[in-house]
Amino acid sequence: MSNDVSNLEGSEELGGQKVRLYPVTRIQGRADIEIIFTPYHEVSEARFRALEVRGLDRLAVGMPALRVPQVLSRICGSCGPFHQLASCMALENATGAVLPAAAGTVRELLCWLWLAHSHLLSIIYTVLPDLALPMSDMAVRNITGIYMVEQEAVSRLFRIQAAFAEALGTVAGTLVHPAMVVPGGVSSIPDVRTLSHTAELLEGCEDDLRETLRLLEMLIKRDAQMTFTGTTLEGHYMAATVEGVPFPLGDEVTVKPFGEGEPVVLSHRQLLDGMVEAPVQWSYLVPVSLKGADHLLTGPLSRMNMGYGPDTKWADLECNKCVEQWGRPLDREFLAYMALMLEVIRAWEKSRLLLEEWSPAGGVACAAPEFSAASGVSVVDSPRGVILHSVSVDGSGIVEAYKVVSPLQFNCPMMNRHLSGIARKVVTGIEITDAVAQRLQFAVRAFNPCVPCGTH
Amino acid sequence: MYIATVALCACGGCHNSLLAAGEPFVSLLSEHTISFSSYLFDRRTISPSDVVLATGGIRNHEELEIAREIERTSRKVIAVGSCAVYGGLPGARDREEPPAVSEGAGLPEMLENVMPLDSIVGVELYLPGCPPPPGLILESLKSLEGRYEPPHFDGTVCSECPRTVEVKPVKSWSLHPGCGVPEGSCLLNHGLLCLGPVTRGGCLAACPLEGSICIGCRGPSDMVLSSQLHSMYSDMVKYVTLSTASRREKVEKKLSAVLETIYLFTRRDPVIRAKVKERVPGE
Repeated sequence: MSNDVSNLEGSEELGGQKVRLYPVTRIQGRADIEIIFTPYHEVSEARFRALEVRGLDRLAVGMPALRVPQVLSRICGSCGPFHQLASCMALENATGAVLPAAAGTVRELLCWLWLAHSHLLSIIYTVLPDLALPMSDMAVRNITGIYMVEQEAVSRLFRIQAAFAEALGTVAGTLVHPAMVVPGGVSSIPDVRTLSHTAELLEGCEDDLRETLRLLEMLIKRDAQMTFTGTTLEGHYMAATVEGVPFPLGDEVTVKPFGEGEPVVLSHRQLLDGMVEAPVQWSYLVPVSLKGADHLLTGPLSRMNMGYGPDTKWADLECNKCVEQWGRPLDREFLAYMALMLEVIRAWEKSRLLLEEWSPAGGVACAAPEFSAASGVSVVDSPRGVILHSVSVDGSGIVEAYKVVSPLQFNCPMMNRHLSGIARKVVTGIEITDAVAQRLQFAVRAFNPCVPCGTH
Repeated sequence: MYIATVALCACGGCHNSLLAAGEPFVSLLSEHTISFSSYLFDRRTISPSDVVLATGGIRNHEELEIAREIERTSRKVIAVGSCAVYGGLPGARDREEPPAVSEGAGLPEMLENVMPLDSIVGVELYLPGCPPPPGLILESLKSLEGRYEPPHFDGTVCSECPRTVEVKPVKSWSLHPGCGVPEGSCLLNHGLLCLGPVTRGGCLAACPLEGSICIGCRGPSDMVLSSQLHSMYSDMVKYVTLSTASRREKVEKKLSAVLETIYLFTRRDPVIRAKVKERVPGE
């Protein structure tokens, strides 16, 4: 790992030169950005390259299906629970297992808690340094740099994160790869004491959430004038939905264009059938598009564009304020950062609603699945966007084929087009300064890429 | 103290577990200097460090180079997580063909097999788990400051589990909790193949506590590691035979069928492989 921006390698390609920015920092996993120049030293293209692959989806083949969800949770250290959930749902789809109502409620609660906690880590370690210290030296442009001068603001965020972490620990046992979600339901139903403790923890976050939201609004407003180019996102945005409203466990997938055009609603199976995989020679990541939608965006900004619905009043109000301020569609990269915060608020509201309306704890936790030769597909909208799992099992419950598609695969074509656009504006020669490197990485971080997830 | 974090062939879970330690972690970092951490920090070169928290095993040539650089430039290395300690899940099977990419594309070539970190790097402290709990990683880091003794758990997951085991027969075995297991009752008694009896503790039995089986993510206990006469498989056979009053041959047959799942996280570890070779015909 010897590369530095001041120590870049150049090599001949397409008659021009190629510069490598390695590694991309403050993202999940290892990747670089390759900038390809024309013979006239103008940027031809910039592309995000995934440098690692593990093959966990292939590991699932030949394994007892009931073991697979806990294994595939390890695809991603951030969205792992959502992969586990997607894997369980694909098996349920294959076996026809009917989810008990109580288990469905527990799963939904877990989804909101996981989503909020994942976003909070992104906000603390990725977003805050970019927004609070965009022009600062790289030595201080990190969370400790902010903590040393603005401790209260950081502590506030950590208090919220700690509350969600404790809530997750209480309900699911572990934070990162919890074992609680199993095919057919959950392994146990939380008792009344657990639920009331969770409700108390969340209730205590409200003031800190309000203060943090105001801070991010202010920083985004400032940075929008100071740092960002006018580049907008073009293509389609996509989210799992229920009647058009984003929902992590939605039974349909809605795809809408950023520009003119009608939305398309797909079933999980239609999404699988409509996907076009286009492997490239220069990255381990396989980009995925949809027939008729070459450039897709999935994740928080997509969901924010679709709106949050009336049951989460605070998040919906703040979302509408963003639309008033920035116009519809919300197609500028920095709004992805605001979307993270608004989704934390939405998750907080949704969790509290679930806890308030909770039917008596107890009930059946799980329906034991019975296997016959079959295949199933599922979609879950994770913190970083749409995850698809597809499985085929034989009559004895052994996995014959498995396929995973992750948010970064969907986002990759749009992210690379956006990155190229930014590079053409800010890169002026093969010497890449820290400021330019920071700007290019910001363009990437707005998509919150997760490389282990993307290459499995 | 100069502190670095490095991720090799990893899912990011160990890093996220560390980040989830929250304010105590950032407060600790602010008393020291981050020398390198692509998760936290924008510097791109690995510079000399007093402590490196390394996650992930070594699966490709790029990771091999990074490991060698850590070995050259670091004083103390903590292997964080079962991928770093044992090779982890990516080593659960032998290498399969990676996706086809252009040879001239400059992408890292895959190695024949996944290697644990200590194949290349001298490791000061091993911290298995998938991932290790946030507090455990933080305590390990503090221990290298000289403030505390390093955390060590020589018991098993069972020793931390509040569920009670009874000696009684089991009708059939499964990897699934069925309609749920009653609170307080051992999962093995309900026919669930929980690896708690042979797996290292320190996780507070988080999975069995929630009614899910332990899948052995923290690797074998000291008992298994320290003796030629023990292996995860043989100890598991013994424990299940005793607790379920079953015939040993019957239990051996059942566990042989799910052998791969016993060694999911540890298969690439040389010590474990030697034990597996001894105990299981055909392996």
